[in-house]
Amino acid sequence: MNAKEKISSSTFAAQYPELGTGPVGTDVYCDPAFYERELAAIFRRTWLCVGRVEQAPKSGDFFQKALPTFGYSVIVARAKDQKLRAFYNVCQHRGNHVELRQSGHCVGFTCPFHGWTYGLDGKLVGVPDASGFFDLDKSKLGLRQLALDVWEGFVFINMDPSPSQTLEEAMGEQGRDLVGYPFDSGTAVFEYEGTINCNWKSMIDSFCETYHVPVLHRHSVKDTLAGPDNPYGRLIDCRIKGPHRTQSVWGNMAYTPNPVQGLAWQNAPGPAVTSGVVDAAVKLPKGLNETRAKHWSLDVTVFFPNWIIVMGSGMYFTHQMWPLAANKVVWQMRGFLRPATNAAQRFGQENSMVELRDAVLEDCNTLERIQTAQDEGLITEMIYHDHEIALRHQYHVVKQWVEGFEKNQKKKGKGAR
Amino acid sequence: MPKSVRGTAPLLPKGFKTLEPLVADWVLPDSRARLEKRLTTPPAVIRAFYDAMLDKAPKALSYLAERQLGELNEAEERLLKLLLSLAEMGPAVEWYGTGEYPDGFDARRFKLIEQMPDNAAQGARP
Ligand code: FES
Ligand SMILES: [Fe+2]
Repeated sequence: MNAKEKISSSTFAAQYPELGTGPVGTDVYCDPAFYERELAAIFRRTWLCVGRVEQAPKSGDFFQKALPTFGYSVIVARAKDQKLRAFYNVCQHRGNHVELRQSGHCVGFTCPFHGWTYGLDGKLVGVPDASGFFDLDKSKLGLRQLALDVWEGFVFINMDPSPSQTLEEAMGEQGRDLVGYPFDSGTAVFEYEGTINCNWKSMIDSFCETYHVPVLHRHSVKDTLAGPDNPYGRLIDCRIKGPHRTQSVWGNMAYTPNPVQGLAWQNAPGPAVTSGVVDAAVKLPKGLNETRAKHWSLDVTVFFPNWIIVMGSGMYFTHQMWPLAANKVVWQMRGFLRPATNAAQRFGQENSMVELRDAVLEDCNTLERIQTAQDEGLITEMIYHDHEIALRHQYHVVKQWVEGFEKNQKKKGKGAR
Repeated sequence: MPKSVRGTAPLLPKGFKTLEPLVADWVLPDSRARLEKRLTTPPAVIRAFYDAMLDKAPKALSYLAERQLGELNEAEERLLKLLLSLAEMGPAVEWYGTGEYPDGFDARRFKLIEQMPDNAAQGARP
């Protein structure tokens, strides 16, 4: 296969004409009022990933997940009936946290303020000196529950008490196309977190275009994700599926690894995402390297609104964005590597982790600089390359989602009057 | 930190004596400590460590490939930790030629909130 032909045969703009080709406004990246609208329309009513089922495998197991955007945390617990449930970590007496540990095993939760106790199913079971209260109805004072559902072992919550879509509907075609990937084999886990002074969508954008790879990442992954056959690191493919999108990233098969990197690739439990090596034992689901390109390294799959999976055949990692303001985001990157089958493979795991971190560090100054330029009105429009189509798509999806929600609310308001 | 005392247990497994001088500085508690070491060590010192380690790394990796995490003795664990420091210093030399990031986003602004243990059994692949 001729890589050049394959890559430049058609434009994405022609495949997705509804997205247009003109400049795109920066308002959604820097307007504090729009940010508030996003919280109401998006973050308070879409499914958000909070962990994996392996974090609470047995009844009595629980874990907490902080939601930086809202300041509080949720508890995910598996009760005797084996069901997973999610609760706000908020005591119904006066609002203290009922659990302080990040994870563990217990028979229930005891609030460390006045000692109210709750079962793993959230029911209020004990109130010290209960006779001193007035008309206390324990059956109405369980922990407040959130909608919870699971996709491929990933646990999602929704703050909307009656979500407009089921998780399955929300994951849609892109979710279905990834079913069967061995997500549960990534049991060697690490996680980085950082607070970056940029809009949450900019941080997503930075993982969704490879136009910057040969330039910004010239010291690191330039020669693995671009090469003589593809000097600008053009995408193999970009597929838009509803509010979601997947980019298939090219890999330079002729790349010779650096000495330590090469040893790390040889001594790793699975191929590194940038190695261009595909583990033939892994059956790729339909939606991973969907064109079945030979020069493939990894897919960047964005699930609206704030969750990205970067997948190769031998490892994957996720990015999640938790906005704090129009121009501030908490970013979390969680790596899922296969377990080491011998002690030498711990070396490969460490190098994979370090290279990922270093590559993302290279992205962050650009994000803070463009945010300042947007905040100061020094740039008011973005000019997008065809291979920056994912950015254009995100802009449209977010705008449509916010405006659609607000229209609906108005209609509902009128109906009620 | 372990002391090299003649007549007591060796610092490193047999065959890796030339790496013993590196143990005091480069056997570090965990991934966080290794990044901190990278950020606070002059490039020439990182380079010297890299060169010394690279020479022996293939042999050390073959040695550890015969062994399991969680079952290493102290000398073997030190050898592994030297290699893990090499994994951290690798990009410093191979990508940047220095411990620093060229367009310097402060690496300390990324917190490693969960790390893989250096030497604990990881369980079989399901
Ligand atoms: S706030 Fe929890 S027992 Fe009072
Ligand atoms: Fe990047």
